[in-house]
Amino acid sequence: MALIDVVNLSKAFGPKVVLSNVNLQVQEGESLVVLGGSGTGKTVLLRNIMGLLTPDSGHVAIEGKIIAQLKREELFEVRQSIGMCFQMAALFDSMTVFENVAFALRRHTKMTNGEVTARVEECLSMVGMKGTDKLKPAELSGGMKRRVGFARAIALKPKILLFDEPTTGLDPVMTDVIGRVILDLKHELGVTTITITHDLKSAFEIADRIALLFRGECIACEPPAAFKVNPHPVIQQFLRGDADGPFLQDPPPPKRKTQEAHS
Amino acid sequence: MVLTFFDKTGARVLGALDLAGDFAVLAGRTFAAVFRRPFDGKNLLNQLQALGVNSLPVVVLTSLAVSMVFAVQLAFGFRQFQAEGLASQVEGLAIIRELGPVITGLMLSGRIGSAMAAELGTMQVTEQIDALECLATDPVHYLFVPRFLAAVVMVPLLTVISIYVGFWGGYLILVGVEGQSAYVYGNEFYKLLAFRDLRIALIKALVFGMIIALVGCWKGYRTQGGAEGVGNAPTSSVVTSSLWILISDFFLTKLLLV
Ligand SMILES: Nc1ncnc2c1ncn2[C@@H]1O[C@H](COP(=O)(O)OP(=O)(O)OP(=O)(O)O)[C@@H](O)[C@H]1O
Ligand SMILES: [Mg+2]
Repeated sequence: MALIDVVNLSKAFGPKVVLSNVNLQVQEGESLVVLGGSGTGKTVLLRNIMGLLTPDSGHVAIEGKIIAQLKREELFEVRQSIGMCFQMAALFDSMTVFENVAFALRRHTKMTNGEVTARVEECLSMVGMKGTDKLKPAELSGGMKRRVGFARAIALKPKILLFDEPTTGLDPVMTDVIGRVILDLKHELGVTTITITHDLKSAFEIADRIALLFRGECIACEPPAAFKVNPHPVIQQFLRGDADGPFLQDPPPPKRKTQEAHS
Repeated sequence: MVLTFFDKTGARVLGALDLAGDFAVLAGRTFAAVFRRPFDGKNLLNQLQALGVNSLPVVVLTSLAVSMVFAVQLAFGFRQFQAEGLASQVEGLAIIRELGPVITGLMLSGRIGSAMAAELGTMQVTEQIDALECLATDPVHYLFVPRFLAAVVMVPLLTVISIYVGFWGGYLILVGVEGQSAYVYGNEFYKLLAFRDLRIALIKALVFGMIIALVGCWKGYRTQGGAEGVGNAPTSSVVTSSLWILISDFFLTKLLLV
């Protein structure tokens, strides 16, 4: 049985249909990368998995438990085994970096203060944020916030990790570091991950399977090698990163020759 | 024409019921969460400080102003029919029964209720409340309960202080300006009162504290729509809680005075 099972998931906001009939299965220890254009509902998908949104139809099951049907206490129990990294980091801005990362450790474990400090240091140094523990989130840059959010998500060593664009806004070197941390977690702890990213290079490094969301539907979900050669025009356009093709609803502005633009 | 009227009224009524139901559910969850572990002492202390200690100047100043102006009016009014002696009795009655609790409640709904709505509202629109949920922490337990407990402790306490300050505000005018005897004022102030009146005042303050905290947290928690939403949350929390303070004051007085 799949660890994370998304079945016929549909979600609309008012008249706007964001997800329609999405099916995804993630096995234990597998890492899935979700690609898709901006605004196609990747974040909405994660929020449904986390139980922050309720599906209009269909359901999400984690270890066979249907998230939308759990009581709040049971839901919180399930969530203890899931780490989520928000797109905008969502750090607690009244707390320091240290307190942010230590939050779940203090609430859900019986660790001593020394152990908590050690674990927080470990998590922060993994993402290259050592020595920032006394700062407040307002004193961090966007990329630094995102890395602290990453550290906070992995602090409890959860079984499942959901990353919402963990590398957007990071420099290429740090992007590679985050990719390696995700791979390390997978190999050392056997965590199951769903990663949303726009960075194709790290997507192909991390992924066991890649899914592409397009207009609310999951049009492909297959291993990286097969994904690369998938003849679907949308997938090929996405991989090329070209504005011309079926991907956009409205035609893009015509391409100018660079010389013309200069004259 | 008629149909649209009924449609609109119906939608309004349903909307209001929806809101009331949502508030009731969250209030119920707050009551239930009060006794749940883990107990967050540090957070509670922070709130006691923010709500109670920092509100002291506001409460002292408004109570002083209101009690003094009320004493001036009473002295003037009773002089019309040569009953100056009654001024201090009525002053005591008014301050303990109504002015103390209501002024404190209204001032605190402006000072702490709005702060709660703004803080939780900001947390809501910046996804911090979602982050709490994801870290397996019930926002009602983590955010509502300390604020609720602090308000339930602090509003009655500040009401007592307000009554005490009110006594001296009346003293300032009736003894200091109007030239009544200090000894007589001290006795007359309590003449029309029984211990029951202080108890009623404290019960009122307790209820006002609950209203302030629950409405403030609720409005903040339900904030939507970015900066504008965060701007509306405190305003609407102050309006709602002030209204309910006045309404509940009426019913509590009616119920408890029989
Ligand atoms: N709370 C909401 N209310 C109304 N519409 C929403 C809400 N949340 C998301 N949407 C809509 O759902 C669509 C998908 O949003 P989502 O945030 O999932 O996009 P995304 O795939 O994560 O994009 P990006 O890559 O830019 O982060 C958007 O068009 C957005 O307008
Ligand atoms: Mg997103």
